[in-house]
Amino acid sequence: MSINFILVLNRQGKTRLVKWFNNNYTAGEKSRMISEIHRLVGSRDSKPQSNFVEYQQNKLVYRRYAGLYFISAIGPYDNELSYLESLHFFVEILDTYFDNVCELDLVLNFYKLYVVLDEIYLGGEIHQISKSRVLDRLTELEALA
Amino acid sequence: MAPQMKGLTQFIADLRNAKDTEEEQRRINLEINNIHSKFSGKVNSYDRKKYLCKLMYIYLLGYTDQVDVGVRESFQLLSSSNYSEKQLGYLAVQVLQPYRQGRVKDFLVTQMEQMHSILLRDLKSDSEPINCLAINHIASHYRVNDGTTIGQNDDTAPLWQELVDIIYSYCTSPISTPIIKSKAALALNSLLKVFPGLQNNWIPRLLTLLDNPDINVMTSSIPLVEMLITQEPRYIRSILPSISRRLYAIIVEQKCPEDFFYYNTPAPWLVIKLLQLLERLFVSQKPDGTPMLSIVDFDHTVLGELRAIVAQSIQNAGQPARGLPNRNSQSAILFQSVSLAVFLDASPDAIDGAVAALLGLIDSQDTNTKYLAIDALIKLTRRSTGLESRFDSRMPQIFQLLYDKDVSVRRKALDLICTVCHAETAPNIVGKLLDYFPYGDFSIKQELALKIAVVAETFATDTTWYVSTMLRLLSIGGGYNANGNSFISHEVWERIVQIVVNNEELQPKTTKLVVSLLKNPITRTNTDPKKAPPPPTGTPESLVKVAAVVLGEFCNTVDPEQSFRVLYDHYFKVSLVTRAMLLTTFLKYLVKFPDADFIADIVDLFEVETMSLDLEIQTRAHEYLMLATQPSQEFKRHVVRPLPVFVQEESPLYKRLGLDARRPGARANAVAAAAARGAVEAPNNVVNSGLTPGWQAGYSRMLHYDAGIFFENQLVKILYRIVKDHHQITYKFSVINNAGKSANTVINGFTLLSIDPQCDNINPSYVITTTESPDATISTKTSMEHVVKIRHIVENNQSPRMTITFTCGGSFNQLNLKIPVTLLRSLSSGGMQISLDEFNIRWSQIGSQLGPDAGERVTEATIPHRCNSSNIVRLLTRLGFAVVQGSPDDAMPIEVYGAGILNTSSSNYGLLCKLTSIGVDGKTFRIAVRCTGGGVAEIIADSLREVLMAQ
Repeated sequence: MSINFILVLNRQGKTRLVKWFNNNYTAGEKSRMISEIHRLVGSRDSKPQSNFVEYQQNKLVYRRYAGLYFISAIGPYDNELSYLESLHFFVEILDTYFDNVCELDLVLNFYKLYVVLDEIYLGGEIHQISKSRVLDRLTELEALA
Repeated sequence: MAPQMKGLTQFIADLRNAKDTEEEQRRINLEINNIHSKFSGKVNSYDRKKYLCKLMYIYLLGYTDQVDVGVRESFQLLSSSNYSEKQLGYLAVQVLQPYRQGRVKDFLVTQMEQMHSILLRDLKSDSEPINCLAINHIASHYRVNDGTTIGQNDDTAPLWQELVDIIYSYCTSPISTPIIKSKAALALNSLLKVFPGLQNNWIPRLLTLLDNPDINVMTSSIPLVEMLITQEPRYIRSILPSISRRLYAIIVEQKCPEDFFYYNTPAPWLVIKLLQLLERLFVSQKPDGTPMLSIVDFDHTVLGELRAIVAQSIQNAGQPARGLPNRNSQSAILFQSVSLAVFLDASPDAIDGAVAALLGLIDSQDTNTKYLAIDALIKLTRRSTGLESRFDSRMPQIFQLLYDKDVSVRRKALDLICTVCHAETAPNIVGKLLDYFPYGDFSIKQELALKIAVVAETFATDTTWYVSTMLRLLSIGGGYNANGNSFISHEVWERIVQIVVNNEELQPKTTKLVVSLLKNPITRTNTDPKKAPPPPTGTPESLVKVAAVVLGEFCNTVDPEQSFRVLYDHYFKVSLVTRAMLLTTFLKYLVKFPDADFIADIVDLFEVETMSLDLEIQTRAHEYLMLATQPSQEFKRHVVRPLPVFVQEESPLYKRLGLDARRPGARANAVAAAAARGAVEAPNNVVNSGLTPGWQAGYSRMLHYDAGIFFENQLVKILYRIVKDHHQITYKFSVINNAGKSANTVINGFTLLSIDPQCDNINPSYVITTTESPDATISTKTSMEHVVKIRHIVENNQSPRMTITFTCGGSFNQLNLKIPVTLLRSLSSGGMQISLDEFNIRWSQIGSQLGPDAGERVTEATIPHRCNSSNIVRLLTRLGFAVVQGSPDDAMPIEVYGAGILNTSSSNYGLLCKLTSIGVDGKTFRIAVRCTGGGVAEIIADSLREVLMAQ
């Protein structure tokens, strides 16, 4: 049970955040996967589609927020809805942290995104699950920077 | 949020405003030159961070080879004592130095060599946030999933070990804060995957992480716990109470700290992870192949709590939800609970209820729900036995899902169809799937073809049906798609060839069918008006391949001229690989029919192809042309020998699908038998999946007697003794080295490889445990002991198989033996004395209570030799009955009555039987059995029959 990678893409397929929890993909594999995933997810952009799609050995669980796809690649036995809600949890934290987040925030603060991510997902697993505690922690860390 | 770095913002804005990549590239080059010159002088902390951020941004844009200057600077940042510099330093290492190519191990080793001293210092720092930076880095940066590991003998092993030690102490130290503990648990999980081999005595302390009151700590430690339990399954029972107590508190008692509620759902992620952990343990196997966890591992309290948890979760899902996140969390818990429920409560009612509820959801408007309901049904069916037929009446509805708008749903539906398929529905389902094939979209076709092939093979009762079905599949399967991949994976057509080659009677049918399919491809008649017409398919390559092999071998069974023409016509329509195969086929035609009219065409073709640009084809053409012009027929025939039969136990298709070939329902398997038929005759074939010859004698003896010889051959002699104690039966074996007596040879590596109960493992009818393992080296003798606990009614075909391996004088030996574990074995009379009158009263009591249908069974058996009344009395006494002799020793008919109690741990049954001779020879007996347990009489009657016949 674990996440192989987390990916945030905009509708044009530009990567806004990517975190590989498996460090054994070559550079070529990574870029090929990202463009395949963009095509796959982008083509499913109409209503009666589920938020899940199989990709290679992974299940992709994704949801679109405005112009951004938040995608999590999970294992074949993992609980889809739980990881889908976990993405929502992540988005809500970003929304509070960046005070009404938009795509440009993610672009300009790309290096801070990883700090946020590390508090929610770590080593390919769900790490912290309390919204208030994550936000408190982020404020604490922010004060040190 | 801290202010942004202005220069960085400006740089990013410039790049975003770039009109084209050329301008972008220019701007980047400018910046890189700037950074180079800045870094060669003195830079302050702010600038260093800013430039590194710019470099990372450039890297993330895809300009990965221009940022080397950043690597040195990231180490500068890492050695700073300032938190924000360190933080950025770690990020820079992860972003700028990820694994890119080459051996993953080299990457890990290099990274560890560079980072070890920094990590060590930060882990030992007094600042908790700095500790966390290092732990985060370890958790994320060294995690790989391709199985790469660092061994204890690797040069860097001490470095890894040092980190493991420190992280372990963070996990277990009472003074670690919860945040450190939860991060450390995740880091240790990542670390141990790369550097396995944690000392076993460390495990119990780590498992107590599950008892940590902090919800984050518990959540984060679950992956680690799963890994540790897999490593040491004996600790499994120790974690069950912690899991169930926590789940019970959250779900049933609604006890959860306020800040862990997520939209009214208490700690959904913890709940799901815990439920999933239990499910994974039920599904996983120990190294010996037994399930990691089974229902008998639970005590009453824990099991009761878990059932309450599952029931409550299912009930919660019915409550009105507050918003989507709430509903999704409830559903997530629901589906997770349903997957677990099968293991906790195998009552057929509960499972029926779950099936019905889930079937109700597959028409849901919400696609997510639909998808997950299908998924849950698949799991449920795979994990229970005999559920398949519940779906028969719903097949049209399920088939409709193959046309769903969402390909994910279509794929799951296909999976469900194949899962619920059983022997009776298989022909129909395969037919329908073949009809569907042209409509299936590209991404699903390959899987569809494979599944059709597997279902057809699994359930085939008739080889002709199988072959014609498969050829039809190949015929509509078409050619190659744009990427050069066929929808039909090569395993599919190869399997058909294997089966045809191994079965003589199939050969003429197949050759005729292949020729006719190639001449007249199947035109689709079933055009569903609702659907768009299917895209046209190209030349059926795989069919041509089968034809190439099959006709080349067996062209004598069809008209050679006609079959040759068909193949020849296809030659230029197929890929180079197939053409190369066809060239060989033509050579075979040439050898077999030296006087036919088409020889000239073949020779011409060989000649033309000697000019081929393809090396393989050119080589073959050249060689075959030389051969064709050889005068000696004898020589040619030596070159073209018939194909030998294929020797392969398991179908490659199963492997491809990752399926277990021993799927229930697959027993009436004509194809497997057909595939094996040739193989058995093949020389050097020693594969025999059955029992070791000679097993039967010991097995029968065990049915009768409590001690004796179980098995004997030249090398070993196995004696047995059976001790009964109510529902517990102990089987003691002593193994004697037979070879030692004659040749003074020692038996080595004597291993009890497995002892497999053949009963259902979710709610097993009996449990077998090995209480004494044999010695590996036997100079004279050793002993082993198994204890069987009868839990409920044991069917007659559930006796366990024991596999033993050993070497003796250089030869490797394997014994597969069956040990009788039957319900009859649990019989005791408990010192009961019974008179004829009492017997008759009880006999009629059972009759009136249960009725003759449920309580009684009558059968007949013929004993190989003549018996008198006292023989039968002795026999029944030996089996454990209290016996009443109904007729004197020399009278006819013989009548003997027996009474006893069958003991199982769940309940006891009163058992009565009457043996009455039929006729005058004292050999044929009528066996009448009555028992207080419904359906038991039947089992016992059959057992008695088996015992009598084996007299």
